[in-house]
Amino acid sequence: MAVDSTTEGSTASPTSDDSELVGDGGVNVVDQSGSEPPTDSIVGTADDSIVREIGHDEFDPVGTLILVLIYMAILLGMWVFMYFVEFLGRGVTVVG
Amino acid sequence: MATAAGNEPLFVERFPDEAAVAKANLLVAFVALGIGAFFGLVQALHRTDILRIIDSADYYTLLTGHGVLLAIVFTIFGLAAFFHWATARSLDQPAVSTLFSWAWFGLMTTGSLLASVAILGGLVPNLGISADVLFTFYAPLQAHPIFYIGLAMFIVGTWLSGADWFLSYRAWREDNPDERIPLQAFMVLTTMIMWYIATVGVAVSVVFFLIPWSLGLIESVNPLLTRTLFWFFGHPIVYFWLMPAYMMWYTVLPKLAGGRLFSDPLARVVFLLFLLLSTPVGIHHQYLDPGIAEGFKFIAMTNTMFLLLPSLLTAFTAVASIEHGARQRGGEGYLRWLGALPWRDPAFAGMAFAGLIFAAGGFSGMINAGMNINYLIHNSLWVPGHFHMTVGTAVALTFMAAAYWLVPQLTGTKLYSRPIGLLQVVLWFVGMVFMSNAMHRAGLAGIPRRTAEPQYQNFDFVTPIGSIFELRVQIAFGGLLLFLSVVLFLFNMLLTAFGEKSERPVDEFLPAPLSGPEGSPRVLDNLGLWTGIAVVLVILAYTLPIAGIIQNGGGLFGGGLPVPVTVFPDVELVKTVLAGALAALAGVLL
Amino acid sequence: MEIHAYEKLWLALALVLIVGFIGTITYGAAGAGIEMIDDKGGTVDPATLDDHPKFGDPGIEKTGENSYDVYLVARQFVFEPGTSEPLRVPAGSTVTFHVTAADVIHGFDVVGTNANTMAIPGQVAEFTVRFEEPGEYGIVCNEYCGSGHHVMEGSIVVMEQSEFDSWYAEQNQEGEN
Repeated sequence: MAVDSTTEGSTASPTSDDSELVGDGGVNVVDQSGSEPPTDSIVGTADDSIVREIGHDEFDPVGTLILVLIYMAILLGMWVFMYFVEFLGRGVTVVG
Repeated sequence: MATAAGNEPLFVERFPDEAAVAKANLLVAFVALGIGAFFGLVQALHRTDILRIIDSADYYTLLTGHGVLLAIVFTIFGLAAFFHWATARSLDQPAVSTLFSWAWFGLMTTGSLLASVAILGGLVPNLGISADVLFTFYAPLQAHPIFYIGLAMFIVGTWLSGADWFLSYRAWREDNPDERIPLQAFMVLTTMIMWYIATVGVAVSVVFFLIPWSLGLIESVNPLLTRTLFWFFGHPIVYFWLMPAYMMWYTVLPKLAGGRLFSDPLARVVFLLFLLLSTPVGIHHQYLDPGIAEGFKFIAMTNTMFLLLPSLLTAFTAVASIEHGARQRGGEGYLRWLGALPWRDPAFAGMAFAGLIFAAGGFSGMINAGMNINYLIHNSLWVPGHFHMTVGTAVALTFMAAAYWLVPQLTGTKLYSRPIGLLQVVLWFVGMVFMSNAMHRAGLAGIPRRTAEPQYQNFDFVTPIGSIFELRVQIAFGGLLLFLSVVLFLFNMLLTAFGEKSERPVDEFLPAPLSGPEGSPRVLDNLGLWTGIAVVLVILAYTLPIAGIIQNGGGLFGGGLPVPVTVFPDVELVKTVLAGALAALAGVLL
Repeated sequence: MEIHAYEKLWLALALVLIVGFIGTITYGAAGAGIEMIDDKGGTVDPATLDDHPKFGDPGIEKTGENSYDVYLVARQFVFEPGTSEPLRVPAGSTVTFHVTAADVIHGFDVVGTNANTMAIPGQVAEFTVRFEEPGEYGIVCNEYCGSGHHVMEGSIVVMEQSEFDSWYAEQNQEGEN
């Protein structure tokens, strides 16, 4: 269904209901593997390899949290280096 | 679900007219990309003194072409294609008038052609037409009038394209009075409101000052005023480039990863923050300008720093949506799930690489945003290093990656080659790592941007680690890889466009977000309210600085500045062309 | 509106980061004493720059015990002074620059330092720096200013105070003759 992911009401895709999704997800994936062309020749087929549906309440993005915390640490370190070493460390600077 | 995609007709079958308009926009965008990338290669080899095939004076002609063709034509025609597609798709209805869509496309294209002729005319001696003023066209450097006129036509074209999407929205709203605005349409509309506010600056600058001045109707301009008006527009245009990429990251990337968008309401919040904060920040490009008080610079910095917030939120939401996909595809562990992502899909890999480079470019942007630390890097090669990571990768690579997924929806043909696509995005990533890392370091060594020969008589640049020669080689090598990447991309697109129609050329299904808009406050969708606040913020940020510039800096027109370059002799010709263009426009519209 | 706990944490950290950045910049201004180029330099009519009492004959002049003013004009494609002859300044003194442009917008960057400003016709960029040690610096125009932009460069020679004093006296004598 190429319905906008945010549309509510009658046109909404069945996937907008989490409980339904978790129930029949795996079946759909198995269904289609026979008739379709090989998925790695076309773009956007990542969801053909879905092995389990994960709903809203079951998903904690812990990996994301780790990655963004690493990013934040890099930002802080680089900022301190750039400001206090590279910038303030220069001899001639505008003081008036 | 994935199977549903097989049953639903492709976008091109449901909306053939919209697909045609989107394709035409992409065609212009990709032609500009090819020419602009070639100029970029020539520049990378020239300024590093690896290979000089042009005269150094012509370097600036190519640099103007590179900037305008890539940062204006490629990006904004790309945006128009994505937004036209997204509006029809998310509202599930065609544009109100196809003729109107072609009219704005025609106006934007004509404007781009005029500006391009003015720029490339600089390569032909004795033609009398040139526009070696770079992307920023700071007066009193002067371009041929058709450069400014083309620019004005282009901007008006973008205004009309926005009107097209607002008309679609109005028609949809009549049938759906109580629905939440579909997310993609919400993104299109908020971005266009931001653009309307932002382009006021450049429109005033071009129409009231630069066009009359280039035609000889007024004698001089106030250089600080036109420069300030440029940056009034020049920073929000950054978000005009970025917002279509963000739209793809929010609404398409999760699907490409096999997951679903983590949070629809936060996506709306992010776009609203960009609407509010994109424009009252332009003065951060003028931290080292005389004639603007420090207090105004500090206000611009505070606004700019808070503009980090929506991008940092985007980082979280985008990565979480990807992680969701990886885990649905069987990914496990704290970070091992990264291996479960569809890295062989060029659309996914390209967008993921673009996001990764954007994280690095985000850091150098934080330095740029810092008021006094700006002394360190202002107008050094650090700055192009920064924006080749942002507009040059976060935007450009996302557009190319998105094209691998979107173009088959518009043509009905399969992507010619996924492996070539993958090679292309990897080449871009590697090339950009070499080029922009070296540019950042070169900037810290003091090497200026925008110069044909950064090799001087009186002094040598020094870099604490490595050598200046090594930096030059890295810049040239990176530039070469980037050019090859563009060649591969255009080759792949060309063969895709002429490929055979396929039953299932692409999987275009987009799943619903994990957290939908239902729980979010309805006030988020009150576009009138947010527009009002955005306008107030702009007035607060700009009234006093602009009043000061006009009062202290010799008035609106700068008081008798001599025109430094020759006034172009063929002004009559321009007036004729202008009249013809207006008549043609009237003919299309009436 | 429901926001995941992790994302709330990230949002809070992001705000702390932003406030931290603004705090660092404020420290640089208030604590380390770094001032911005601003509107204190005033304006000047670029059309009559040659008749200007200072910019008409740009260069360095002594204004106090240990303080000097430098008037400097950027024009296509030279710095006056700086290009045809180096700008000479004494070490260990306070030097206040007044930089303007005669034709188009230029840049003025003392290579490898934080002395960096735009030079805009009609505007005067005024800023004060100290050169502590004798030595030489390059000046580069870092804003595109026309087809010869890449040749627009100059140099600053920082001299020992005594050496500078004799040079300065000699200059003024020549001026009077």
